[in-house]
Parts: sequence; structure tokens; C-alpha cells
Amino acid sequence: MRAFLDNLRLALSTFLGNPLRSLLTLLGIVIGVATVITMMGLIEGLRIKVNNDLGRMGAHTFQVTKWPAGGFGRVNWAKYSKRKDFEMLDARAIEESCPSVGTVVPTDDDGGQKLVTASSETRPSVRVFGTPANYPLVSGVSVQAGRYFNEVEALDGRHVVLLGTDVSDALFPGMNPVGHEVRIKGRPFRVIGLLQKRGSILGMFSLDNQVMIPLSVFHQLYGKKRSVDISVQAKSPELFAKAQDEVASLMRRRRDVPATLPNDFELHTNESVTASFNQLSGVITIAGVGVCLLSLVVGGIGILNIMLVSVMERTREIGVRKALGARKRRILGQFATEAVLLSLMGGAMGLGLGFGLVFLGKWMMGFPMQVPPWAVGLALFMSCGVGLLFGIYPAARAAKLDPVEAMRAD
Amino acid sequence: MSEASGAGPLIQVENITRVFHVGGEEVRALRGVSFGINRGEWVAIIGQSGSGKSTMMNVLGCLDTPSSGRYMLNGKDVSRMSDDELAVIRNVEIGFIFQTFQLLPRETALANVELPLVYRGLGTRERRERAKAALDKVQLTHRMHHRPNELSGGQRQRVAIARALVSEPSMLLADEPTGNLDSATGEEIVRLFEQLHQAGHTLVLVTHEPKLAARCPRAIRLSDGEIVADGDGRTVAMGTATDVLNAGGA
Repeated sequence: MRAFLDNLRLALSTFLGNPLRSLLTLLGIVIGVATVITMMGLIEGLRIKVNNDLGRMGAHTFQVTKWPAGGFGRVNWAKYSKRKDFEMLDARAIEESCPSVGTVVPTDDDGGQKLVTASSETRPSVRVFGTPANYPLVSGVSVQAGRYFNEVEALDGRHVVLLGTDVSDALFPGMNPVGHEVRIKGRPFRVIGLLQKRGSILGMFSLDNQVMIPLSVFHQLYGKKRSVDISVQAKSPELFAKAQDEVASLMRRRRDVPATLPNDFELHTNESVTASFNQLSGVITIAGVGVCLLSLVVGGIGILNIMLVSVMERTREIGVRKALGARKRRILGQFATEAVLLSLMGGAMGLGLGFGLVFLGKWMMGFPMQVPPWAVGLALFMSCGVGLLFGIYPAARAAKLDPVEAMRAD
Repeated sequence: MSEASGAGPLIQVENITRVFHVGGEEVRALRGVSFGINRGEWVAIIGQSGSGKSTMMNVLGCLDTPSSGRYMLNGKDVSRMSDDELAVIRNVEIGFIFQTFQLLPRETALANVELPLVYRGLGTRERRERAKAALDKVQLTHRMHHRPNELSGGQRQRVAIARALVSEPSMLLADEPTGNLDSATGEEIVRLFEQLHQAGHTLVLVTHEPKLAARCPRAIRLSDGEIVADGDGRTVAMGTATDVLNAGGA
């Protein structure tokens, strides 16, 4: 312990004796650790955000669709688009023959629409959802102003619409849009409600750049030869799993899936959607850690270099220390401590820089960023390890020096 | 400090050889050297360059081990010890005084003097107190917070002597201690050695200067790796002087 404290003091005085050189040496580690912190902060922030964003289905609700969850990662879209479409009849069949199922809500949606009013228009990127009147029951959607359309409006095919906040801001900046008229595909719609703001996925895909219209009207606009997504709410939380089983076996029967083949459709729950994203973010995290390890190795080579120089410069000192009774292990410890302290300092500076960047990214650019505690531990641990790994060779060289030879060096 | 072995001589060297292999060639730096040094003696080891006195100094200082023969220091056979065991012996038994002082340039005088105690594992406070006491013995307490480059040559050598004294070793081993000093400062250092000798310290002084060796009560003269004279310092040293004169005249 005492030897360690002495070594620590020595290492510190070496660092302070040549601060500029030490700082330059540390740059690699600093940048490496800052990268770890920033990347992990971004990935973790996105993960938390997306998990919140994706968990948008209502309580004990799942969705039957032909598309894979979220669509993250590499997806063979051709394979999925060949699957048989889900029709309104499927929704009705579920409602009629699955005893554990409470509410069944078929929906359909299409992107890339432009909404116009007499005086302004949106960009052609609005997603239009067609839903029944009971859609808010099974979704995370809620109404901020006005109201959702009712059963009569839905069945009658009235041209009514609820606007997402992005759409409302584009068409009616600073105004309550309720009661105004917008045009979708050239048809006039009366705005009856404004949806609650929901934010975006990955900070990119806004969930507010969308509008809701009755499903029957949607089918008039877009045609009926499309696959609907069917949101299914179990009668109670206890029946959630049972309801999924009933729906799955019903759908297999209706779609003639042989017993030997897997489902040709997907059942999404909040959990399955977020799980599929988490799987992807795990891969990104591992890749990120790999990249950061690489930059830490570069930093480590800086440490290796400076420690070799340091040992060479202080050959005489090492000789004197050994002549006066320092054992090999002690010299080894002195230089290893120095290397570890050096890279730990780099690690600490990198942490500072990383948190600074995360702060900037979060508050100035609005990225969802949150540094997971384990990343701090990992960064410090890795810089410690790098110091030890790359410091041990120069330290061993110092320890092996012959005192007589070393004292003769100039 | 080492009562256990108070009986025999402090240093007993028996038939020591040291052979170096330099580029396939065998260099016999010591060819069977034997002598003893008692506690409290002040002995000069004198010889010209190439006589083997530096090798002798390294062996006596446990910085090197003999190729054959036996070296007993304070009752311990140190001739076959490992590097780390020798490090402990150097720390406990030997106080080194080098020609070039060998102070750590970035440390203060006080920290330099503390150094041997650091490797003995003493606590900060005890280290400091003992180092101050050692600096007091060489009258340098007023300069203890200065770094070596702020001290004169004589002051540096006194710091080095304080460093040698601080661990209370059984012998002080000085290698050309006045070699880098002007004659007045050198004389100052020799006086200090005389005081230390009178205080009962065992001193071994390796030098090529007959004048310096003549000040020692006993001198051992090496030539070509062998002892050619061992006796009263003045006599042995003068013999050297005569040889040098003869060589110069030839």
C-alpha cells in the first residue's frame, strides 16, 4: 500500500513535470473514451426513446400484420409482400370466433401524402391512417383538441380528419385547426380533432406527421386491394396469451398454412416490437464498442511510445533507484502505475469531453442522448486496461536494467 | 546495526574472480582477490584504470556478482544472491557515494536523501525525520528544499553522503568521491570522511588518486586484477606514485 502511494506520488509528479507532453500523449485515450461515451450515450438514448415510441399499442393489445416488427435491420421485403393480404373479413372472423378477444380494430395506412388548404400545403410526406372509431382504445393515440370521429361518421364514410401536430403546424400555424377544411387527394375533409404530440422514432421519423380518417373513407381513396393491419385487444390481461393463440390458429386455418410451416404472418406486441429494435441496438452497441476499442488501442500505442521514451530518458534515475535498493517489482510497479495513471487521466478527460458532447447533442441539437452508467465504468476500465497493457512492456524493460550500466547512461 | 555478526571481519573476500565475455573474448577483470576489512576501518582501493578496481567496487557494492570465489558481507554470503536479494543487501548494508553524485535531478535534496528509506518501506514521517538528521550531519539542512541543480558540487556530494548515511549501512562505499570536485571542495569532503571514520563508520574508498589514498589508514592496490600491495595507506599510495613517475620517465 505504501509502495503504491509512493508510486502514485511519483507518477503524478512525472505527469506534472511535463504536462504538455503528457496531454498530447493522452489525446488518443481522451478521444477514444469520449467516443465511447458519446456513442453509447446516443445508442442508449435512442434505445430508450424508441422503446417509448414503439410501445404505442394500448394495454393487452397485439397486432396481426404481414409485415415484420418495426422493419429494423435487414428485411427481405419481397418475401413479406408476397404474403397473402389481410382483409376486413379476417378482422370480422377474429371478432366472431375468438372467445378471448375483446376489441378488434382493422387499420390501414399509406405514406407520402400531401395535404393542402386554400392558403398552404404540407410536404408530400404525411402518413394517412384509416381507422374505425374505436381506434384510440387499442393505440397510444389520443386527442388534444376536438374529438375522434364516432361510429356513425366512420360507417357513413364522412370526410372528417384528425391532424397530427406536425401537419397542423404546417397548415394552421399557431391556430386551432378544428373546424377548418383540408384537402387530401383533392377531396375536402373537415378537421374535427388535433392529435396529442407523440415525438419521433430515432429523432427522424415523426409520429406527428400523420392524419387519421375513417377506414371506409381510406378505402375509397386508396382502394380496397390492400392488406389491413388488425389490432386485437384481449378481453383482459389474463387472456392476452390465450387470445394470441386463438387468433394465430384461426389465421393459419383461414390462410391454409400447412402444419409443417411457420406462420405466414406476424403477431406484434409492444414487447416483440421493442425486442426487435433492442436486438438491432445491441448489434450497434457491440459495433460501437469495437470501434471505440480500436481508438483506445491507438491511444494505447501513444502510451507505449511515451513510456518507452520516459524509461530511456530516466535510465540513470532507474539505475540509481536500483543501486539504492529498489527491487525489480518496485521499478515495474513505478512505471506501470505511471502508465495506468496516465491513461486513467486520459480516461477522465475523455469522460469530461464525452459528457460535454452528450450535453451539447442533447440540449443544443435535440438528440435523445443518455449515457448508461456501465459505459462510464467500461470506459474507465478500458483506459485502465490499455495503460496496463501498453505500459507493462516499457516498465518491464525498466525493471530489467542493470544498475551499473544504467547509472553510466547520460 | 548488525550485531549478529559482530565477531568476524565485516567484509571477507575469498579468491574472487570476475570474467567478462566481450565479443567472444574473455576479459579477466579480477583474478583471484582475497582480503578482509574490519568494522570501523577506512580502506582505499587504489589502482589505475584497467586494474580491476571498478569491478571490485561493483562486486563490493553488490551491484555485480563474482564469477567465482566467495564474498561474505556482514556475515552473509552475497556472492550467489539473486538480483532482488542483492537489492535488499544494497539497501540495508551499503551506503553509496558516487563520483557523479547520482542524485535524482527532479527531486529536492531532502527527497533524494529519503530515497533509500523509501525502498526500505518506511513511512513518510520517519523517512523525513531521518533524512533531516542525515542532512544535519553534513550541515546541509538549510539547503534541503533545493534541487541538485541549485546546489554547488560540494553540496551535491554532501547530499549524496547524507543519502549514504541515512540508512545506517554497515559500510560506506565511495567511488572517486572527489573526482568531480575542485581541490578545495575535495578537501572538504575528505575532512568529512575523516569525521565519519572517527565516528566509527566503515569506509571503503575506490580511487586512482594516490594523494587521496595516502589519507587513508590502509590501502589495497590492484593491478591487472590482482592485489599487488596491501598495507599502510601512505606507503601503498606512494608506491603507486613512484610507479607513475617511473612510467612517465620511461
